Amino acid sequence: MKKYIALILVSIITILSCEKDDICIDTTTPSLIIRFYDNDNQAETKQVLLDSVWANSKENIYKNQTLDSIIIPLDLNQNSTLYKFTSNSIEDEINFTYDRKDIFVSRSCGYKTIFENLQIDSNTSNWIKNININNSTIENDTAAHITIFH
Amino acid sequence: MTQQHILLFFISVLFTFTINSQELQDSLKVKEVYGIRVGIDISKPINSFFNNETKGLEIVGDFRITRNHYAAVELGFLDKTTNEDYINFTTKGSYIKAGFNYNAYKNWKGMNNEIYVGLRYGFSIFNQTLNSYTPNVNGTYFISETLQPATEFKDLTAQWLEFVFGMKVETFNNLYLGASVSLNKMINTKEPENFKNLHIPGFNRVFLNNTGVGFNYTLSYLIPILKKNK
Repeated sequence: MKKYIALILVSIITILSCEKDDICIDTTTPSLIIRFYDNDNQAETKQVLLDSVWANSKENIYKNQTLDSIIIPLDLNQNSTLYKFTSNSIEDEINFTYDRKDIFVSRSCGYKTIFENLQIDSNTSNWIKNININNSTIENDTAAHITIFH
Repeated sequence: MTQQHILLFFISVLFTFTINSQELQDSLKVKEVYGIRVGIDISKPINSFFNNETKGLEIVGDFRITRNHYAAVELGFLDKTTNEDYINFTTKGSYIKAGFNYNAYKNWKGMNNEIYVGLRYGFSIFNQTLNSYTPNVNGTYFISETLQPATEFKDLTAQWLEFVFGMKVETFNNLYLGASVSLNKMINTKEPENFKNLHIPGFNRVFLNNTGVGFNYTLSYLIPILKKNK
């Protein structure tokens, strides 16, 4: 009988200690990754001094930084997000449109939103010369989805 | 002197006779009862009473086949709403578990208690309703709104195996109090589309490695059918 009790206790402890699904460790809603390239030499990345990057009527995400790539979140409550990028006091804006899809992840993470059919609805080109969509489906944060030439 | 010896002789003869007759009676008395035992899991109605989001009922029964083996069955119903950080869902359905128990406890004469191990096959048919969810996003730049789709996933099923360990104690004549713990392992389950069976009636919470744990506290009554000699 003692053998059984030991077996049961060990099994219960094993099961309870395996409860990894209480803390969300999976990746959730991805963000948009933009990489900056040289417009004259389109194979080369080119850093840009960003005075500010912000979505309409929100605070800055980047301020006075020189970077060759940025990660910006998309609004997951509507099907478009308007972003403003200022470089050397010149402002450009890009309006991204997309479809949203909620995908089940796990008990603790719940659902994540992925963005499909990403398009540039409208944009200005003051310092941004050209925009290229590399991947119109945003389901992870691993590779650049958009290339901006300047 | 001789009188005293004669008296002693008669006393000892009488004494041995009474002892012998008692033993004879005892060996006749020890009969084991075979029958159907039915009961309910009292923990589930109590839990329903204190927790508005859970309603459950379980009826248990067993039938003695051999001296130490019992065929056992559990029938139950569950309606439970689970609230997690980013999701809220309701599980509603019924289940059946069937299998056997092996009594490993050696009773003293006249006692009918059990410490048993058992195996069950469990089957459940249920619906899951995704009441609400909040898309999970890192950071606070865009805060997601909670959506209330109330999507109902119907006719889901699950099959599993249970390893049971428990005990039953006869408190009054034919009335038993029991407690058991079970470890469950999923065989297969029909998952809803773009969701997961996180709770299954009878199986309880589904852990990541498709295992589960169950407890029950039963009150049952033995309906004697026949008495067999040991």
